[in-house]
Parts: sequence; C-alpha cells; structure tokens
Amino acid sequence: MADTTAIKKGAVIRHNNDLYVVTDFSFVNPGKGSAFTKTKMKSISAGKTIEITYKSGETVDVVQVSRQTMQYLYKNGEMFSFMNKETYETIDVSADVLEDESRYLKEGMDVIAVIHEEGIVAIQLPIKVQYTVKTAPPAVKGDSAGGNVTKEIVLENDLTIQAPIFIKEGEKVLVNTETGDYGGRVTE
Amino acid sequence: MYTFDQIATQKHILDLRWQIIKTIREFFWSEKFCEVDAPLLMRLPGQEPYLSPMTVDVHDENGKAYKRFLHTSPEFAMKKLLAAGYTTIFYLGKCFRDYESFGGNHYPEFTMLEWYRTACDYTQIMNDVEMLFLELAKTTQKHIPYFSSWNRISMKELWQTYLGINLDEYLTQEALLELSIKKGFNPSKQESFEDLFFRIFLNYIEPELGKDVPTIVYEYPAQMAALAKLSDKDSRYAERFEVYIHGIEIANAFSELTNGVEQYDRFKKEQKTREKNNKPVYDIDGSFIDAVNNLPTCAGIALGVDRVVQLFTGCKDIQNVIVS
Repeated sequence: MADTTAIKKGAVIRHNNDLYVVTDFSFVNPGKGSAFTKTKMKSISAGKTIEITYKSGETVDVVQVSRQTMQYLYKNGEMFSFMNKETYETIDVSADVLEDESRYLKEGMDVIAVIHEEGIVAIQLPIKVQYTVKTAPPAVKGDSAGGNVTKEIVLENDLTIQAPIFIKEGEKVLVNTETGDYGGRVTE
Repeated sequence: MYTFDQIATQKHILDLRWQIIKTIREFFWSEKFCEVDAPLLMRLPGQEPYLSPMTVDVHDENGKAYKRFLHTSPEFAMKKLLAAGYTTIFYLGKCFRDYESFGGNHYPEFTMLEWYRTACDYTQIMNDVEMLFLELAKTTQKHIPYFSSWNRISMKELWQTYLGINLDEYLTQEALLELSIKKGFNPSKQESFEDLFFRIFLNYIEPELGKDVPTIVYEYPAQMAALAKLSDKDSRYAERFEVYIHGIEIANAFSELTNGVEQYDRFKKEQKTREKNNKPVYDIDGSFIDAVNNLPTCAGIALGVDRVVQLFTGCKDIQNVIVS
C-alpha cells in the first residue's frame, strides 16, 4: 500500500480486483479546496481506460512491478520488439500497450520497461530524445518577417514535429517526449 | 526556462495568448469597467484553508526585515475598492500559490482575471461570463458554435442527474461519509464534508461537465460558501457558481458576503482548519472585515486566464501557454 504520491506514469494500481497502469495524472484543487489527484489508467487485462480521482494523501494499492532497461529493436507487423540488454531475451509488445509512445521509438534506443508477470505493461521513454532530421523544407527568405517562425520537419523515425525555420536536413534535434515539442538543436 | 528557439516554436500559441488578453481588456472597457491594480505583496494574506501563500522577505533601508506574502488572489484589495465606492472593476494580472504542481492545469505563478459588479447578484456575472467567452471565440475564430449556447444547472440537479441522489439528504459529513464508503471509496472517518463532497463530485460529475456546451454549476452547499452569501430561498446552499468547459474548472464566482461579523466567524473557522492541517495560521485583516461590513450588494468572479489560453490553443500543459 502507498499513498497518492506514488502515482506516476507507469505505476501499476490494483482497483476493484483488476490491475491498471497509470497513463496520465494531474492535480486539481476544486474551488480552492484541498488537493486531489486525477488519475487516468488502463486495465492490463481488458485495455479499457478509466479515470479515478483520489484525494491527495489517500491510500492507493500500488502493485510492485519490476523496471528494466530494454533496447527497442524493431517493429514487426503490429508488434514492437524489445531486448533485455543483460539476458538478450526479447519481449514483443502490441501497439495498444504503447499507444502514443510508439511514435517516439527509434531503433536501438533504450527505454525503461515496466514488467508485470513477465510481460511489458508500459514503457517509459527518456524525456528528451535526440533524432536526426530526415526532411526539412528550406527556409524561405521573409518567412520570419511574415510571422512564420516554425515549420514542420520529419525525423529519422518518421515522427513529425514543429521546429524553428533554421533547422536543416541531417541536423540533430532534441524532442520532448512528454509534449511532442521541439527541445533544442544538438551542436557537436 | 525556455530558450529563445523553443519560444519561437511556441509563437503561434503565444500570439493567441496576447490576443486573448487584449480581448479581455477591450471587453471590460467596452462594458465601462475600470481596470484596477492590487498589491502583490501583502502583510496579511488570505485564509483559504487549502491555499499556501508564498513568503517573501523584504528589508527596509536599515536592513530591518519584514515578512510579506505574495497575493493568492486580488480579492481583498478589490473588495476594499468596492467598499470605497467603486462599482465595476476588473483585475488582470499575476497571482501566486505555493505547493501547486508545475504543470497540467496548475503553475505556482499564474494569470488571474477577477471582476466585480455592485448592485447585482451572481446571475449578472453569469451573463458576463457567457458574453466574454463568445467574444473570445469570435476574436480568435475558434469554438464559436460551442460558446453560442450555455447550460446553467444547479449542483442539486447535477447530483440527481449523475448519481440519482437528492443532495438535500446528504448535506452532513456523516451522510456523505456513508455514501462514499458505499461507492467503494476509502475515506478516513474524520474527513471533512468538503473533501467527501469533492471526491464524489470529481469522480462522478466533473468529467461530464461542459462536454457539449459550456456549463455553469450554481448553488453550492453552504459549507463551501467561503466568501459567498447564502441563498435567500434556501440557506443550506450558497450563491456560488463555477464554470466548467470540457471537464475543467475555469472560474469560481460568488454573490459576495456583505456581513463583516459572519465573515469574521468564517475566517475563525478557516484558521482552525488551517491549524488542523498543519498550515501556517495568519492574523485576520481587520481592515478587510471593515470593508466587508461596508460592501454594497455585489458579486464577483475569479477566472484562470492561462486555462482559457489552454482551451483556445488545445494545449494540455499550462507550461506551453506561458513564457517561462
């Protein structure tokens, strides 16, 4: 048992005899009242997402899970393959488990896998990930004067983001995997 | 802290933010409101049981230290202005609250819009809210159909609709505790009425509010009156309303309490709650009690501007709509 401070993305909670993975959470203070934690979580067995709001400090049945650094190998049909870097064992995960996070995967990157009963129930990405820019339309002179200070660029893993107009193909950029926002240019 | 090139990627969002701020000012000026200031540094901060003002050390020219607090809302200063004779005033500026999350819909430093009108009750403020949002929708060219019609519904009707329960029968801590346990929650026996109420409200009602049309929820149980006047037709409820848009609380309004004695009693109770919750207890500002005693009939509202920007830009995280 733990309290609401243990609620974080990837935490596994037992609720009504089912296990849920926390996919999102936020704090609310209704009308200047005391704090509550709004928790979005997905059933591991049924995949259904529910939303529960706990009073902050309330007891929550947080289930012990193991976390393991794993390397993303490749996409195989609808399954994503990850490898345990110590044992070289691979585990396949379906797209439903990864949801939005699959957009940020690139081959060879390390993620933290949340493991329950030998299956991956969620992955945690590094907050900032570096990608090489695959395509970026050239900046047109006068763009910034017209107020267009961003453009759409495509990264090595086909992820599309908004970036400043000065970013060029082949450059390396950082992306915030929590928001999908541009997080800076990497200069080497 | 963002770098300039991160700010550059946010520019389309910030442009909308400045547009919203401009529209708000123009709306109130066209309604003949006077924009007012409020001191950010206070000697005696508000007593709301669950808010934590930030403490600031200030020194005079001789190095003597004074403890001050950043205001959590401009309410005290604005009510003093109303007592002094102002009739229609608004404040658009920063407020600060400690022990808040740094993301989602909260941030320790945020932008608040408050406005007050004398000689009216909270229904006039509801009209203002509806007109303001329609104006914002028009100037930003976003969500115009959504903001063209509103739902006004009492808290009691909501409990009946979503829980099949007559709220009149659950206006005590004991009754709500029993209901919470029956619903499968795990509250402590001493939990306050307010916490029990909000847990049920947040789980069963709030996510449904404002989905298809923006929703004004009015008449809160008297226990949650804070600085609101009790309802003339049923003193078990207070003339308080909140605005919900897509399940998010955007504003909180009252027909203001104009009885200094009752205000003093409520502050005393709030001091006790703070003490119980191990929060610092502040002295009561006597000049504010005097002001409440001299308040004309009035109503007012506090509205989170950053959340409005989030709404019009579709940003889930408040940090994406502010310059930080």
